Amino acid sequence: MEDFRRNLRVFLAFFTPSFGWLALFFLAPLVIIFLYSVGETVSLTEVKTTWTFANYARLTEPEIVTLFIRSLWLAGISTVICLLVGYPVALVIATAPPKWKPWLLLIVILPFWTNLLIRTYALLNILGTRGRVNDLFEWIWVQADGALRFVGLGEYQLLGEEYEPIVFLGRWSGVIIGLVYVHLPFTVLPIYAALERLERSYLEASLDLGAGQWRTFRSILLPMTMVGVITAAIITFIPMLGSYLTPALLGRGQVDMIANVIERQFKGANDWPFGAAMSLFLLYVTFIILALQAIAAMRRSRLRGREHG
Amino acid sequence: MTQTPIISIRNVTKRFGSFTALEDISIDIRPGEIFALLGPSGCGKSTLLRIIAGFETPTEGDILIDGKDMTEVPPNKRPVNMVFQSYAVFPHMSVADNVAYGLKMDKLPAAEIKTKVAEALKQVHLSEFSHRMPDQLSGGQRQRVALARALVKRPRVLLLDEPLSALDAKLRDAMRLELVKLQQTVGVSFIMVTHDQSEALAMADRIAVLDQGRLRQLADPVTLYRKPADAFVADFIGRVNLFEVTAHEPGSTTATVASLGEIALAAAAAYPEGEALVLAVRPEHIRLTAGEGPGVPATLGDVAFQGDSSIVEVTLADGRSVQVLEDAAESARLMQLDPGAIVTLEIDWTKAAILRRSAL
Repeated sequence: MEDFRRNLRVFLAFFTPSFGWLALFFLAPLVIIFLYSVGETVSLTEVKTTWTFANYARLTEPEIVTLFIRSLWLAGISTVICLLVGYPVALVIATAPPKWKPWLLLIVILPFWTNLLIRTYALLNILGTRGRVNDLFEWIWVQADGALRFVGLGEYQLLGEEYEPIVFLGRWSGVIIGLVYVHLPFTVLPIYAALERLERSYLEASLDLGAGQWRTFRSILLPMTMVGVITAAIITFIPMLGSYLTPALLGRGQVDMIANVIERQFKGANDWPFGAAMSLFLLYVTFIILALQAIAAMRRSRLRGREHG
Repeated sequence: MTQTPIISIRNVTKRFGSFTALEDISIDIRPGEIFALLGPSGCGKSTLLRIIAGFETPTEGDILIDGKDMTEVPPNKRPVNMVFQSYAVFPHMSVADNVAYGLKMDKLPAAEIKTKVAEALKQVHLSEFSHRMPDQLSGGQRQRVALARALVKRPRVLLLDEPLSALDAKLRDAMRLELVKLQQTVGVSFIMVTHDQSEALAMADRIAVLDQGRLRQLADPVTLYRKPADAFVADFIGRVNLFEVTAHEPGSTTATVASLGEIALAAAAAYPEGEALVLAVRPEHIRLTAGEGPGVPATLGDVAFQGDSSIVEVTLADGRSVQVLEDAAESARLMQLDPGAIVTLEIDWTKAAILRRSAL
C-alpha cells in the first residue's frame, strides 16, 4: 500500500479505471436522481431543477406514509421469519459432517444461480389458487372429508361444502412467502459463518458445567453468534425493503412496496421528481439503519475500552 | 492399597469408522490422586478423557464413576468437570459470571453462588479480576478462570486436557507446582492428559502410557523410569540408548548386542525365543573417560551443556551414536578435548535392561 502511494503513476494506473467506473455509472446517476428530486416536471420529457422541496414534502402524504410503513412492516416480518428459519438451517449445516457441508451450502446458494424472474414465476405456480400448495391442501381436505363420511358424519359437512382454496397471491401472505424465499440465503450465510467460527469447546464447556442443550443455546451459542445474526438481519432487511419483483408479481398490484410505487412514478404517473425523492428517501433509510448499527458496534467497543482503563 | 476406585474405565474400546482410537483400556482412578494420561499425539489420550467427560461414547466397555455406570449419561449430568486445552472461557461473560455459570445450572440460591464464586476466585488468586472480561486477561489468568469455574462445582474428578501446553515455558514450570498444590488443597482427583513426559513425571502420582490406542504401561513415575515395560516406554520416558539384541538364549545371562558385541547381564531375562529384544541403557548409567582403557571405545562428539550437567554425544566404532550424561565437572573436562578425541565408555551393566521392542 505504502509503495502505491509513493509511486503516484502506479497508483493512478490502478485507481483511475475503478474510480472512473464508479463515477460514471454510480455517482453520476445518483447526482442526476438528486437533481430530479429537487426539480419540477415542465413538459412530458423534461424535468427542470428548481431546487424545490415540494417532492420531499409529498412524502408525508398519508398514502405514502402508509406505503412506507407497509414496506417496513413486510420487510421486518419477513426478516424475522428468515432469522427464525435461517438460524436452524445454518446450525444444521455448521454441525453436519464435513463431507456434506459443501453440498448443503450448495443447496442454499443454488437458487442464486437461477434467474429471479423464473423463480418468482415458479412461486406463482406453487402459490396460486389452483397451485401446488392448494392441490395438496385440497387432497388433505378430500381425505379428511372422506374419513368423516366413512364414520357417518358426512351429512353435517363439518369441513364445508367443498374445499375453499387459500389465497396467497395479492395478499400479504404471498408477498411475505416470496420475500422470505428469495432472501433466505442472505440470512443463512452470515449466521453459518459465525457458527463455523465458533469453537466447539465453548459448547462442550457449557454442557460440562451442567447446562442442557436449550440453556447452552440461549446462554452460549446465541450470544456468541449474535454478530452474525445482526449482520444477517441487516443484509436481509435492506434488499427486502427495496424489493420490486416479488411484490409486483406475488402482490398483483394489491400489496405494493416502495419500489413498485417508485416505478409507477417513472412510468405511468410520469412524475420523475417525486419518484426520485422516494428513491433517495429509501437510500437515506438504508443509511440510517447502517449508521445505527455502526454506532451500536462503536459503543460496544468503547464500553470494552473503558473497562480496560 | 484396596481403595475403591473413583472412576473405573472398563475394557473401553473406541472406533471411529475403521480407525481404532482406543483398544480395550482398563484403568482405575483412585481418590485424591493426580493421574496422567501420557502419550504421543494421536495415541488416544484425549479421546479417553472425552469419554470420561461424556463427549464421546465408547464403542465397547463402560465408564463407572463412584461405582455407578455413567456410559450413557450425558456430560451435563456427570459429576466430573473439565479444563479445556483452549480454556473455553466464555468471552461474553465476566470472570465472575464464568465461574457462576455452573452453579446457576445447579439452581443454587444467589447468595450461595456469590460466596462460592468469591471463594473459588480467591483460591486461584483472581479475586481482583472478578469484573474483568476474558479478553482483558492473560493466557495464564484465563486458565485460572477455567480452573475456578470447574473446581467450584466440587467435581468428583477434575479433567485437564493438556493444561500447560498453551503457556510459555516459565509460566509452565510455575503452574506445574501450583496445580499440584491446588490438588492437595481441594483433595479432588485430577486426570490430566499430556504429551510431555517431564510434566507427567513431575506432577502425577501415577501415569498411564498410551500408544496407538493401547495401554503400554501403568505405573508410578519412578517405576516407569526404572522398569519400563518395553522399549517404547523406555524411549518415551526420559532419554535412553537402545541397542538391538542379535542373539540371546532365554534364561542366559549373556547376550549379543549390535554395536557392543557379547555382554554379561546382571540378571537373566526370560523372554520367549524369537521375540524382538533391545538393550536399554540410560545416559546416566554410562561413564566417559578420556583416552583408551577397559570398556567400549568411542570418539567424542558434541557436548550439549545444560548448566548442572551435559549430554555428551559419542560415536562408537561402527558409527552408532550414543548419549551420555555427565556432571558439570566432568563435562568441563570433556569440553577441553577436541571433537573426535578417543574416549572410553564404561557401562553399568547392572542398570542396563533387556526389553521387548514392544510389549503388545
